Amino acid sequence: MPTDAVARSSRSRVDWWLPLTIGVLLLVLSPVVWLLMMSFKTEVDALAMPPKLIFVPTLENYSGLLEARFLRPLLNSVVVATVTTVLSLALGVPAAYALSRGRAWATGGIAFWILATRMAPPIAFAIPFFLAYRTIGWLDTLSGLIVIYLTFNLSLVIWLMRAFFDGIPVSLEEAAWIDGASLGQTIRAVVLPLTAPGIAASAILCFLAAWNDFFFALVLTRSSAMTAPVAIVNFMHYAGWDWGRITAGSIIVALPVIAFAVPVRRYLVSGLTAGALKG
Amino acid sequence: MTSHAAYRRRVVAILLAPALFVLIAVTAGPLLYLLVTSFTPLDLTRPDSFRFSGFDNYRELLRDDRFWNSVGVQFRLSAATVLAQLVLGLGLALLLNRPLPFREALRTGFMVPMVLPPIIVAIIWKIWFTPLLTPLNVLTVPLGIVQPSWLTEPALALGTIVLADVWEWTPFTTLILLAALQMMPDEPLEAARVDGASPWQQFLWIILPLLRPALMAAGLFRLIDSFKAFPLIFVMTGGGPGVATEPTNYYAYTQAFNQTFIGYSSAMIVVMLMVTMALSALILGLPGLQRDAD
Repeated sequence: MPTDAVARSSRSRVDWWLPLTIGVLLLVLSPVVWLLMMSFKTEVDALAMPPKLIFVPTLENYSGLLEARFLRPLLNSVVVATVTTVLSLALGVPAAYALSRGRAWATGGIAFWILATRMAPPIAFAIPFFLAYRTIGWLDTLSGLIVIYLTFNLSLVIWLMRAFFDGIPVSLEEAAWIDGASLGQTIRAVVLPLTAPGIAASAILCFLAAWNDFFFALVLTRSSAMTAPVAIVNFMHYAGWDWGRITAGSIIVALPVIAFAVPVRRYLVSGLTAGALKG
Repeated sequence: MTSHAAYRRRVVAILLAPALFVLIAVTAGPLLYLLVTSFTPLDLTRPDSFRFSGFDNYRELLRDDRFWNSVGVQFRLSAATVLAQLVLGLGLALLLNRPLPFREALRTGFMVPMVLPPIIVAIIWKIWFTPLLTPLNVLTVPLGIVQPSWLTEPALALGTIVLADVWEWTPFTTLILLAALQMMPDEPLEAARVDGASPWQQFLWIILPLLRPALMAAGLFRLIDSFKAFPLIFVMTGGGPGVATEPTNYYAYTQAFNQTFIGYSSAMIVVMLMVTMALSALILGLPGLQRDAD
């Protein structure tokens, strides 16, 4: 039965790829799983030697975050990320539409500038913004963070949305125009509904970029405008090495990111390579 | 029709103007200001230090051993991480390009390190390399192996940063290479199979050459981004022991914000900016990757 043997051997080969892939995935994710486990351990269990793989989970690290005034930085993170997202969309979506529909006179230069700002080391912006904020009293303010996050989020929106607008045939708009619709009506009734998924993806990527920032918040805030990532690191430096709170805080900051990133997975590359690769 | 065109042009300008104004204000303005401060000895503790001093900072850079050390650290960090991310990313992309059950879920799972907040990645690896907390103890304690102090041993510290960075950003090269694999035409591979090429020959002579633009793009992106590695170093080693894990970006940070030498730090960053701009121009010049020029 030679054909049978071939079929069996190829099937058994396929059977090996799945366990291999899952095995590699578990290995890759094991450091994250360890973080998750630590966040549910008592201090005694966390420092047990050899480490405990089976333990009675506790929520004391999470409740400890309340005493450690973690809510304020967490709220700061939410406010800053939300406002910068709204601003970036309000400014960037019309601009992206204009770039897509207007003549290409500016597109090339803007593409390079968007890429260059995305590539520039954040410290190149941190120093001038630090000096400017020091002069106008914007250090340690939420406004200060919101504005500096525009350096990357505005470019991101313009670039992603331009690709979405490019995907809508101009003929649809011309049909609406001939039917007597104004440009504003055309945009509202034809263009925006078709690009709603793009706007949603851009919004999520903007939110995540601001939410994930550590460097600007470290340099430009001290206490009242401190965001969650900086607060977590402060558990490390000033409050001794409070691993319970560090791990619990980390999980709280990481959860929304994972939840949001799944639906936008296919836009991750365009988001991270804004300006260079086709969206 | 012409009035429509003129109307459209005006609307386009009105839609574009606010965003362009803000974009220039928050990017071009600050970068110009950075260029200005790089020609001054600006020191936040000395009020009179905002004055023109020509190329003094740049000349000082050439004599600064710590700067050259940071360039060397950067070079080793970039070379090791980019190479590893390309090799592992290629392997992972080939693996995830196979027909597998649950392929979408598996692909999403592999992307987790890249989307996590970078500071959380740094904490994850800080824990991993802290002998008191690491899960490695599950193996080493029963076997009686004593772990080295990974993060404070000069010979090991940079390796821990490299490992963490490779873990964090291999998903990025994987995604780019996976996209390229999915766009790949079937005909050359089928022709090779008909001619009896082994899987290894198919990979070496067909897949790899077709992937070259994607490999170049992914490598350049990672190279430029490797200049900005900050949270990992800040949390895991703080640039130490000594200056063993202090790349230029981190040295510039300490000069500006741990010390107060804004002018000197600015000069260092201007040099970094010029390197990144040159590399960015290379990316735009890659064949087949640039957007159509309309």
